[in-house]
Amino acid sequence: MSDPALAQHLPGQRAALRSRWLAYALAIAVIIVLPLIFNDTYWRTNLTVCAINVLLAIGLDFILGYAGQLNLGHSAFYGLGAYVSTLLIVKLGIPFWVAFIAGVAFAGIAGTFLSLFAVRLRGHYLAIASLGFAVIVHQILLNWISLTQGPLGIYGIAPPPAIVIGGVVIADFRNLAAFFYLVAGFAFLSYMLLSQLVRSPIGETLTAIREDEVSAASLGINGAAWKVFAFGVGSAVAGAAGCFYASFVGTLVPDAFFVSEAFTILAMVIVGGMGTLIGPVFGAILLTVLPEVLRGFGDLRLVVYGAALTFVVLFMPGGLAQAARVVAEKLGLRRSA
Amino acid sequence: MTTTIVLQQAINGVVLGSLYVLVALGLTLIYGVLVQINFAHADFVTLGAFAAYFFMHLVGGGYILSIAVAFVVGAALGWLINAAIFTPLRHKGNELLPLIATIGVSVMMQNLMLAWFGPIPYAFETQYSSEVIRFAGIFVSWQSVIIIIVSILTIALLYAFMKFTFLGKALRAVAQDRETAGLMGINPNYLIMLTFVIASALAGMGGAMLAPVLVLTPFAGTSVIVKAFAIVIIGGFGNVEGTILAGLIVGLIESYTTQFLDPGLIDIVVFALLLVMLAIKPTGLISERREENV
Amino acid sequence: MSTAAATAMTTQPLLQAQGLHKNFGGVKAVSDISFDVPAGSIFAVIGPNGAGKSTLLNLISGVYQANAGSLSFKGTDLSRMPAHRRVRLGIARTFQKIRLFKQLSVLENVIAGFHVHHSIPAWQYVVHGAVFAEDQRRCREQAAKLLDFVGMSARLHVQAGSLSYGEQRMLELARALATKPQLLLIDEPAAGLNAAEVDTLLDRIRSLRNGGTTVVLVEHNMDLVMNVADRIMVMDYGRHLFEGVPAEVQKNPAVIAAYLGGELS
Repeated sequence: MSDPALAQHLPGQRAALRSRWLAYALAIAVIIVLPLIFNDTYWRTNLTVCAINVLLAIGLDFILGYAGQLNLGHSAFYGLGAYVSTLLIVKLGIPFWVAFIAGVAFAGIAGTFLSLFAVRLRGHYLAIASLGFAVIVHQILLNWISLTQGPLGIYGIAPPPAIVIGGVVIADFRNLAAFFYLVAGFAFLSYMLLSQLVRSPIGETLTAIREDEVSAASLGINGAAWKVFAFGVGSAVAGAAGCFYASFVGTLVPDAFFVSEAFTILAMVIVGGMGTLIGPVFGAILLTVLPEVLRGFGDLRLVVYGAALTFVVLFMPGGLAQAARVVAEKLGLRRSA
Repeated sequence: MTTTIVLQQAINGVVLGSLYVLVALGLTLIYGVLVQINFAHADFVTLGAFAAYFFMHLVGGGYILSIAVAFVVGAALGWLINAAIFTPLRHKGNELLPLIATIGVSVMMQNLMLAWFGPIPYAFETQYSSEVIRFAGIFVSWQSVIIIIVSILTIALLYAFMKFTFLGKALRAVAQDRETAGLMGINPNYLIMLTFVIASALAGMGGAMLAPVLVLTPFAGTSVIVKAFAIVIIGGFGNVEGTILAGLIVGLIESYTTQFLDPGLIDIVVFALLLVMLAIKPTGLISERREENV
Repeated sequence: MSTAAATAMTTQPLLQAQGLHKNFGGVKAVSDISFDVPAGSIFAVIGPNGAGKSTLLNLISGVYQANAGSLSFKGTDLSRMPAHRRVRLGIARTFQKIRLFKQLSVLENVIAGFHVHHSIPAWQYVVHGAVFAEDQRRCREQAAKLLDFVGMSARLHVQAGSLSYGEQRMLELARALATKPQLLLIDEPAAGLNAAEVDTLLDRIRSLRNGGTTVVLVEHNMDLVMNVADRIMVMDYGRHLFEGVPAEVQKNPAVIAAYLGGELS
């Protein structure tokens, strides 16, 4: 390495790589162990919901935190993934994993549709367009009764078929622990995928677009194309979450995808720390677990969501990620930038 | 027969529309001055409605007075949200953070109201809602007449205020260029506070007048806010004339859709229209495109 | 290079504008502007405030589309071509109002400029293989070299937002150079710089020109322009006022009048 200033960076990079693999190993270990510790139905259900919310949060963070696009309609992609996959299975008898791919693809395409608005609109306009989109999707799910059965919902949705190799059942997804491993495993892989993308020039490109689109264009970055990409990827991930949700809960009603759900996902991203990817993971876990812990407060637990969102924005806009950094600096584990 | 129906729905549409205009005007005023959106605006509408309800049922006040009460409640909320959220976040310069903070406020307010008032709709009836005027086969309740009069008066007053008074012109000055307005001896912070107070007072008042028409639950505001956004965009952010026009259009669309199609389709129609507008002319009906100054 | 080739190169102008018009509402920001920029030269555009110089630069870089007229670069017609595609052709720019990525470090800002020059197969964006690592290494190395060129080697890891004004300008220059342009558009670079910084800047611009990069420079500072430009075009109220070598421009009465009797030393 010719330049000493650069060389100083490299050992830091190698150390970062090592700690990342360590963190991944730790995460896998935690995922494996969790359902063994919490072996009651209530908590295993919560764990799976956590995993689904993690998927939703990282998908939104990719769009909002990295590409900087204010998407208030993430619930729409969630719902579309759920309904498209479920309807294919229930009405056309299509095998689960084929329907899964279809659901993910449909959600991704819906995302690219919305991204066309993002290409032309800034900030607040896009926020409202995405909100309008979410409302329309919800209303369609609610009112197209011949297709979706509207508010009555769709019942008896089966979990994914068991994985059987050579007559031996490897995984039966009626078992809550197995289902958790499936969703958590998928969430983990999605996280890794997004993390790799984000730490490549693609991440730099998205960040540039977020910071200053005109400036980015002067560097040859095609803002429009990358927005479409970000929306497509983020919404596809949400679609996957929807597919899992449907087969997990077994019942599908449109109100599960009311616009307030979009705000909940937004809260997870902001509270976790937007633009950090790992932050929203913890934001999702925190905001899934916290209301359960506060069950005794009844309706006030949702007030906690709102309060968390407001206070984080006012006092710690970087969310949990920022808080973690501050704590690490105070403890001397990290130099301040 | 059909002409009667058309006229009837036209009147319903105008009544509804003028209420939407009241709510939307608040949003557009705030955006014009601050380039920010208060997502909790809708919940000010809801709280205004509840304030009016409890004023009438607990204190025994009259309907007209309860509208004034809602006005004041709204004003207070507006002052509060400016002081607690928009002012502290102003110097951070991020255009999205305040919006997200107000989403948090909205969620908090809705669920607090849910905890206090419960999910069951409140029946908001006044002595005016049952008394009806008939002419040419058309029914108009006194309620509607009051609403139209109050709305038109308010809108006209606001319009005159913006165009002819010093304070109104100062508001427009701050909207155009805050720094220069400040140099001219206008205190932008005071004006911004004033804007929030007026806008939110309108919202509260709108809530009191909408209450008999809406399903009064803590989530009543949500059904209004999304339409209010649609109106503000169709009319053009910050554009008062456009908002008035768009509000009336949306009101008419709603009444005609209810009559000739299906009430469940209202939101879809309005939003599809919104998305079309955003696709074609995001700056609204009455405005010109402006290229960004690099 | 043979004399014939050199002559051939210098006879086809790198950038050609013909009858450019740009209006904003009723305001004619740019009115019937035509010029040729020969390759490997420094072409300056000067004029009083509001003359339309920055607008012209925005037209060349693609931020604005002209209402009428034609613009071609290396013989390719630029009309309708969006800004980001012009970068691939070889046009880069800096901005009058500095537009750095303030949250990123100095090094990261320059690396962002290599966007058009990555050669990584798609799958290696996910699985960071050998080609990826090599590309990243090369980017960092080249970025460091560019920062050395502008004299910012000591500030690689500083957050761009905390740089001094002069340093930000140099960073912007380095970042624009990362796109490996043949034509560099520089918008009022000397504004806010002290004398020493201006000298360094001039030196860097001359160095670029000597290395074969063509520069179109919009500037207010007359001394700077006279010292560095090969040819100067003077604009006033969006119109073409005069064009020539520095010596001619200094003596032209219309130019002097346009600057309201300002001294052109």
